[in-house]
Amino acid sequence: MRLYGWWLLWVTSNVFGDASIEGSVELPTAKSTAPAVRYHAMPRVAPAPLTVAVVFLEGEFAKTNTPHILKMSQKRFQFEHSILPICVGTRVEFPNEDDDYHNVFSYSKVRRFDLGRYRKDEAPAGMIFDKIGVVRLFCDIHEHMRGAILVLATPHFVVTRPDGSFKLSGLPAGQFKLKVWIDEKTSLEKSVNLRDGETLQVGKLQPVP
Amino acid sequence: MMPNKKSVDGPTQSVRLPHYSLWRSIIAGGTWCLGWAIGLSTSLTPLAAQEVLDRLDDSLFVQSADGTFRLDLSGRLDLEGYSLDGLPPGLIYPTDSFFFNPRFSLFLDAKLGPQLHAFVQSRADRGFDPGLKRSTGDVRLDEYLIRWTPREEGRFNLQAGKFATVVGRWVDRHLSWENPFITAPVPYENVIAVSDKSAPPSIAGMLSRRDVADRKTLWGPLVWGPSYASGLSTFGRIDQFDYAFEVKNASLSSRSSIWDASNHGWSNPTVSGRLGIRPSASWNFGTSLSQGAYMQPIAQSTLPRGTDVGDFLQSTVAVDASFAWRHLQIWSEVFISQFEIPSVGDANTLAYFVEAKYAFSPQFFGALRWNQQYFGDVANGKGQQEPWDRDLWKVDVAAGWRLTRHLQTKLQYSYSHQDSFLQQGENLVAAQITLKF
Repeated sequence: MRLYGWWLLWVTSNVFGDASIEGSVELPTAKSTAPAVRYHAMPRVAPAPLTVAVVFLEGEFAKTNTPHILKMSQKRFQFEHSILPICVGTRVEFPNEDDDYHNVFSYSKVRRFDLGRYRKDEAPAGMIFDKIGVVRLFCDIHEHMRGAILVLATPHFVVTRPDGSFKLSGLPAGQFKLKVWIDEKTSLEKSVNLRDGETLQVGKLQPVP
Repeated sequence: MMPNKKSVDGPTQSVRLPHYSLWRSIIAGGTWCLGWAIGLSTSLTPLAAQEVLDRLDDSLFVQSADGTFRLDLSGRLDLEGYSLDGLPPGLIYPTDSFFFNPRFSLFLDAKLGPQLHAFVQSRADRGFDPGLKRSTGDVRLDEYLIRWTPREEGRFNLQAGKFATVVGRWVDRHLSWENPFITAPVPYENVIAVSDKSAPPSIAGMLSRRDVADRKTLWGPLVWGPSYASGLSTFGRIDQFDYAFEVKNASLSSRSSIWDASNHGWSNPTVSGRLGIRPSASWNFGTSLSQGAYMQPIAQSTLPRGTDVGDFLQSTVAVDASFAWRHLQIWSEVFISQFEIPSVGDANTLAYFVEAKYAFSPQFFGALRWNQQYFGDVANGKGQQEPWDRDLWKVDVAAGWRLTRHLQTKLQYSYSHQDSFLQQGENLVAAQITLKF
């Protein structure tokens, strides 16, 4: 029991610490797609989710065994998130919160799937994402819907606020790489040295295509 | 009323039917499809090509800073091959054993403020129906409309222009990417012995049409494809109900050349409507009605004296139902249409289809469609009743493979049988490759 306590302390201090990073990311202009309503009436469509960036810390971290279940719901004919970062091995569920059908699919190499049509009161099977990379999400019925899941090898990530600002906290001390991801072509990488109890200010980051 | 003897129907002697080997058709169609699929998949599936298409897909728009005004451009390139073992069925024109039909479509969606939307569909191809203008090619505006939606929830929409009919539900999937098949269902493509250009000189003249191959430049189907006629419509959705009404310049069976209001005036409008109910997301039911004159002014000289083209109506009742769950989709439509034919009387026909699509994997799907069309009896002038055209059944089988989000290939085999010594387009193999952006 004492051994387990020491192990837990080691894992916790190696995976989660009390260092943090603050800064902001210059976000590109949103490229939303508009719904093409041609042959039938369609209920109100929400604006596309805002463009955000994912900021994450890359390095060697001990694996955590905490099972994660996250949701990428569809509501008012849009995906809930433009990008959902997850740690590899996370289970993602895709609940439909609209009265109409949705049909979420992806042809991404990381995970190729087609959930088929399902209703609001049906719970489609969740999916475990066990490969690192980007999974682009679409709806076979509503062509304007766009979403993405970014599968990461790190438990330390955060999504920027709509103004681009972010705070990544609970980080261990040490030398790491800070990465910013906007899309497959637009990213940034920066070395950081974190100390316990300190907040590193990285200023404004400008990812480039 | 004495029938006027002038007729553009011409002689109705039987025509000699070309007959090609079924195996030759299948091999030619299959080889064509496979060749194009391999060629396009190897050139377009690499990551670089996909990224270009993805970026193109997301970049072809301009909008004002606040998003009030926006123009979206999208398009499709369809490469189709048809292989036949005899005279072509439906609305396919060439009589070669194999022919190629490319089509390039551009779609422009414009948001003109919060309440106005405009849409244009333009096409460059070899005619609206495959091979119709084979030698010259054709560039057209197939659809153009402006729509007013005063409230965001879509309960009321008013639109004017040239657009697909509100009758039935096949219109929702009539474009190549959405349609699991390459050809249309029988009610939308099977050419029947009703002419919009000439009245039969007599009942015998009408009945003799059963014994000749379809004269596609003179006759038409029950509903001509998506029926992009010109007019005004209102439609909307209120909870689980939806409605649509339209007034158009031409009937459901009218041919594509008169859909444009500038080619065919408003003297004989057609009124159509559809009421639908959606008890749950899985089910859709609808009933459509349509009535309007189906003959063109050119037919006037062939009509009985004292009558006008506006006196002869096409009246149609249709019922549609659809079901979807997970990877299965099923659609069905039944049409009953009555044509008032000079010198003949009322000629009735019933046509229906049941269509199913199943996605076996994220990229591979299969589809099956059963179609039938029956023709009612008319008095033959000898005290007996006879059907006025050839009953028909047809089965369509298709397989589709979505290589990427922008590239799709389909292969279709159709077998049709007519209740006659005359068989038309018994075997058809068609292949289609669609590039979408």
